[in-house]
Amino acid sequence: MKKGFYIALLRILAPVLAIVLSALISSIVILSIGKSPLQVFYTMFKFSLSRMDSVAIILYNATPLIFSGLAVSVGFRMGLFNIGVEGQYLIGAFFAALAGFSIKGLPAAIHLPLVILCGAVGGMLWAFIPIFLKVKRGVHEVISTIMLNYISYSLIHYLIADLFIDRSQKLIQGLGSILARTPKLSPSAMMPKLHGFLGLFGLQLPRHVYLNWFFPLGILTAALIYYLLMYTPFGFELRAVGQNREAARTAGISPERVYIIGFLLSGALAGLVGLSDLLSYFGYMDMDFPRNYGFDGIAVALIAQNNPFGIIFSAILFGFLKRGAEGIQTLLGVPRETISILQALMIMSIVVITKIMNDYIKRLEKKEEVRLCS
Amino acid sequence: MEKAVVLKGITKRFPGIVANDRIDLEVEKGEIHAIVGENGAGKSTLMKILAGIYQPDEGEIYIFGKREKINSPGRAIELKIGMVHQHFMLVDRFTVLENIILGAEKSSGIALDEKRCRKAVEELLALYNFSLNLDARVEEISVGQAQRVEILKVLYRGADILVLDEPTAVLAPQEVRELFNNLRRLKSEGKTIIFISHKLEEVLEIADRITVLRRGKVEGTAIPSQVTKEDLARMMVGKPVMMRFDKEPLDVGEVLLSIEDLVVKESSGRPLVNGVSLKIRGGEIYGIAGIEGNGQKELAEAIIGLRTASAGRIRICGRDIADLSIKEIRDLGVAFIPEDRHRQGLVLPMKVWENMMLGYHTKKDFLKGRSLNLKAIRGFTKNKVEEYGVRLSSIEQPIEGLSGGNQQKVILGRELSRGPKVIVASQPTRGLDVGAAEFVHKELLKMRKKGSAILFISADLEEVLSISDRVGVIYNGKITAEFRPEEVTPEDIGVYMLGGEKGAGEAK
Amino acid sequence: MLVGELLASSLRMAVPILLTALGAVFTERSGVVNIGLEGMMIVGSFWGALGAYYYGPYFGLIIAMAAGMFMALIHAINTVTFRVDQVVSGVAINILAYGSTRFLSLAIFNMATTSPHVSGLPKINIPVLSGIEPLKPLVNDISPVIILALLLVPISSFVIHRTVFGLRLRSVGENPLAADTLGINVFKMKYAGVLLSGIFAGLSGAYLALEHTGMYVEGMTQGQGFIALAAMIFGNWEPKGALWASLLFGFSEALSFRVVEGGVVPYQFIKMIPYVLTLLVLTGVVKKSTGPAASGVPYERGLK
Repeated sequence: MKKGFYIALLRILAPVLAIVLSALISSIVILSIGKSPLQVFYTMFKFSLSRMDSVAIILYNATPLIFSGLAVSVGFRMGLFNIGVEGQYLIGAFFAALAGFSIKGLPAAIHLPLVILCGAVGGMLWAFIPIFLKVKRGVHEVISTIMLNYISYSLIHYLIADLFIDRSQKLIQGLGSILARTPKLSPSAMMPKLHGFLGLFGLQLPRHVYLNWFFPLGILTAALIYYLLMYTPFGFELRAVGQNREAARTAGISPERVYIIGFLLSGALAGLVGLSDLLSYFGYMDMDFPRNYGFDGIAVALIAQNNPFGIIFSAILFGFLKRGAEGIQTLLGVPRETISILQALMIMSIVVITKIMNDYIKRLEKKEEVRLCS
Repeated sequence: MEKAVVLKGITKRFPGIVANDRIDLEVEKGEIHAIVGENGAGKSTLMKILAGIYQPDEGEIYIFGKREKINSPGRAIELKIGMVHQHFMLVDRFTVLENIILGAEKSSGIALDEKRCRKAVEELLALYNFSLNLDARVEEISVGQAQRVEILKVLYRGADILVLDEPTAVLAPQEVRELFNNLRRLKSEGKTIIFISHKLEEVLEIADRITVLRRGKVEGTAIPSQVTKEDLARMMVGKPVMMRFDKEPLDVGEVLLSIEDLVVKESSGRPLVNGVSLKIRGGEIYGIAGIEGNGQKELAEAIIGLRTASAGRIRICGRDIADLSIKEIRDLGVAFIPEDRHRQGLVLPMKVWENMMLGYHTKKDFLKGRSLNLKAIRGFTKNKVEEYGVRLSSIEQPIEGLSGGNQQKVILGRELSRGPKVIVASQPTRGLDVGAAEFVHKELLKMRKKGSAILFISADLEEVLSISDRVGVIYNGKITAEFRPEEVTPEDIGVYMLGGEKGAGEAK
Repeated sequence: MLVGELLASSLRMAVPILLTALGAVFTERSGVVNIGLEGMMIVGSFWGALGAYYYGPYFGLIIAMAAGMFMALIHAINTVTFRVDQVVSGVAINILAYGSTRFLSLAIFNMATTSPHVSGLPKINIPVLSGIEPLKPLVNDISPVIILALLLVPISSFVIHRTVFGLRLRSVGENPLAADTLGINVFKMKYAGVLLSGIFAGLSGAYLALEHTGMYVEGMTQGQGFIALAAMIFGNWEPKGALWASLLFGFSEALSFRVVEGGVVPYQFIKMIPYVLTLLVLTGVVKKSTGPAASGVPYERGLK
C-alpha cells in the first residue's frame, strides 16, 4: 500500500518537475535579453492572480483549451495523434457561425444548442477525412491532419472573405473594401456569460471579461469523457486498441471501428474548441479568429497525461501562462513569445520526465510482484 | 589444455529474479561444450553475458587465460567471441553478403569495397564448404541457410569461440545433421564451440562435455560417454521427467470444428496453410505436431478469424465462418489461447481485471445498462485469481508485472470460463516453467472432459503426444500424416515433421 | 519559352522540399521519424537570414545548418537517448522553433514576423549550357544552392548505398538489435541520421530566406517540411525518388502561380494545391511502399 502511494506521488510529481525544469530553462532565455527571470515570474503571478477579473480571464483563456486538450487526448488514448484539432476547430467554428447567422427567429433555447451541435458536426466532418484515409488507405494521420490544417486555413479564408462575407457592412473610409468577416450571429445563438450566475454568490465581474457557460460545460465534458473511457465498453475498447492493437483485434474488437468512432468523437470535441470565443466574444468569424488552440491542446493533453480531469488543470495552467504573457509584455516589455518557448519546453520535459518515471515505476512494480511470489 | 573460457562466480540479477547464480564454467580450447537446462535455467542470460549484451553483477570472466570485461558486443568480437543467436539477428532486407560484412566492412576510403568483402566471404565458404547465394536477400532464404549466414558472420569476424544458442530449435532433421557436420569441421579447424540446447539427444551426440544448469546454478558437468539421457534429465529438472496425464478415455461427441481444404496465403501470395482438412469432436484433443513455421500459427489464426481463408471452409458447430467477424466467431463459442501472449493475448499496461474482461466486456453479466459493471468484473477476476492460484499483489496491478505463468493463467481464466465449444491453444505452454505448464495441461484436460473440441498446437513433440487424442503432423502448410499417439513413437513422427514421405511409417 | 520558365520555376520551388526530403531519407533510414523537420526549416530560414544580415550569405548558410542541427540534436536526445515518442518530440520541436524564432526576431530585429532584406549568394550561369536558347531559364542566373541540392541527390544516394556509413545507417533502421550485436553503435548512427536531417532542413530554410525571398518571413516554410516527408515517402525512401517527388510538388506550385494569374479559380483554392496533392500522393502510394522496418520504434539495449 505504501508503495502504491509512492507511485501515485511520482505520477503527480512528473508534470510538476517538468514545469519547474522548463521554467529554469526559460530563465536562461529571459536572462539572455537582459531581464530578470525572478521579476518576470513574479510579475506573471502578480498580474494574473491578484485580481478577480484577471482570474476570470484565465478561466476564459482555459475554456477552449479544455476542449482541445480533450480532443487530442481521445486520439492519444487510442494510439492516434490528432494534430488536426487545429483545422477541425476552425471548420467547427465556421459551421457554428453559419448556423448562428443564417438561422433567424429561433428561441435561444433551441438556437444555441443547435449552433453548438453544428460546431461539433463541423469538427467531425473535418476529422472524418483523415481517419477514413487512415483506415481505408493506410495514410498516417499525422501528415494528413497537418495537410488538412493548411487546407482549412485557405478554405476558411475563402468562406469568410468571399462566399459568406458580410455584405451589409458599411464601407470603411480609406480602406476601399469591406472587412473579411461573416455576418453577425443572431443574439439567440450567443452563449450567456457567467456574470449573472456568479453574481448570485456576490462575485461581480467587469464587462470586459467574457467568461461564459462554456467553462462549466468544459468541466462537464471532461467528466463525461472520463466516464466514457473508464466505465463503458467502448471506452475500454478505445484504450485497449491504444495500448495493444493486436491483442484488441484478437479479442474481437475491431480497431478500425474504434478508430473511426474515436476520431469522430475527437473531431466533435475539436469542433467545440472555438465556440467559447465565437459565441461570447466575437459574435462573428473573421481573419483574426484565434489560431493555435489545436496545438496548445497537444501540450495540455500531454501535461495532463491524457487524464480528463488533469486536462482541466493543465488548461487552466495554460490560461494562466497566456494571461501572464500579456502581463510581462505590458509591464516589463518582455516579449510574450517567451511563453511559447516555455510551453514548447514543457512539452519536451513532460514527455522525457514521464518516460523516465514510468520506466522507474515499472521497475518498482516488477520488484513488488516478485517479492510476493517467491 | 588451454582454457578458452573460464567463468568464476558469475551472477546476474534481474528485477526480482536471479538469472545466474554464482556460475563457474570452464571451456577448453577446441572442444564442443554443451550447456543444457530447462527454459528459464539461465542459459541465454549466461550467453548474453559472454556476448557483451548483459553485464554480470558479480564474477570474473577469463578468455584464453586473461581476465576480461566484456562490456559491449563490440568488445566480445574483439575477444574473438561470436554469438549465433537463437532468434536470428539478421537484416531481412539486406543481402546475405551485406549481412555477413555488416560492422566489419572492408573499405577504401569511406566507400565500401564490395569486391574485397565478397572475396573474403567466398574464401570462408570454400574453407568450410558452406553453400550460400551471397546476393539473395535474407527474407528469401530458408531457415537453415539463415543460420549458416549467422555462423559465417562470426567466422568472418575471426571468431575463435562460437556460441550457438539453441541452434537446432528451428531446424529440420537433415538441417540438424548438416549443422553438426559443419560444427565438427569448425572444431577440427581449432574453433571452440559452446552449444546451448535443451535437446538431450543432440547434446549427447555432438558435445565433448556437457554442463547442466538449473535455476540459474551449475548442476554439474558431464562427459557424454559416461551419462545417460535420464541422468541428464534428472539433473536438469531435479526430478524424473514425467509427462503422463490422467487422461481417461471419453466418448467423443459431435464434430464441433471442421476444416476442409483450408488455404491461407501470405500477402505475397505464398500459401502458408496449403490444404488442411481436419475434424475435431467434442471431448477430443487434436494435437498439431511440427517444426515451427510450417503454418501452425496461420492455421490457428484462420480459425479465430485473424486471417482470411483464400480457399476452403472452416465450420464451427456446423456454421461456416467465412463471412463472420472475429467477435462473431468468438460468440459462437471459440476460445483462443494465442501463441504470443504479449502481442495477442494481453494488453500489458492494463490492469489484471481489465485483461480478464478483454473480449468478453460486452457479455451481459459484465454490463449494467450500457456501462461496465466493474463490481461484477472485479468479483469475477477475484474468483478466478483464487481458483487458479494466480500470484499477484492486487488485481489493480498492471498485468505486465506478473510472471509468464501467472499471465497465462489469467488468459486461461478468461478464455475457458464460458464453456467454449472450440478451444484453439497455440503453443500454450511456451516459455512457462514446469509447474505452470502442468497447470495448463490440466485445465485443458478438464475442458476436454466438459466436452470442448480442442486444437492443441505445440512444437514440443512429447507434449503433443502425451496430451492429444489424435495427432496430425504439419509440414509446409499441409497435414502430412495423422496418428493416434499410442500407435507411434516420436521417431516415427519425426520423419513426417521433416517432410518425409507417406508410406513407411504410415499407421492409419 | 513558357515551358522553360515553368520548369525553371518548378525547380526553384522544388529545392526546399528536395533538400528537406533528402534529410528525411537519412533520419528515416536510421529509424527515427522526424516530424520536426518543419521546425528545423523555420530555424534555418531565420538563422540564415540573421547570419546573412550580419556576415553575408555564406555565413548565413552555415549558421542556418548549425541551427537546424541544433534542433535536430534536441530531437535526437529526446528520441534516441530518452526514447520518447518520436512524433510528440517532433511536434514539440516545431512549437519551439516557432516560438523561439518569433522571440529572437523581436529581440534582434525588433520585428516579430520579418527580417530586414538580406542578399543571397551570387547567381551563376552554367557554362556551355547557358548559351543554348531553350535551356536559358534553367541554366542562367540561378542560385548555387539549386546546383548544390541537385548534386546532393547522387551524393546522398552514394553515401546511403555505397559506403560503410550508409550500410550501417540502414542496418540500424532495419534491425537495430542485429546491428548492436555486431558492435555497431546504434545510438551514434541514429544521432548521425537525425543530425544530418537537421543540417539539410536548415540549409533548406536558408535557401527560402536567402535565395528565394531575400528575407526571413514568419511562416515562410508553409508546411514544406511536412510536404518533404510526403515526398520522401513517395520517393520510396530513396534520394532519387525524393528528387522526382519534389519536382512534382515544385511543379504543382509553379503551375498554381500561373493559374492565379488567370484568375478563374479563387486563389485560396490555388493555395491548397500542394497540400491536397500531398494527401492524394499519400493516399495513392502508402499501401504499396514500405519504409525501414524499425522506423519509429525506439531502441532499447537489453530489451527482450
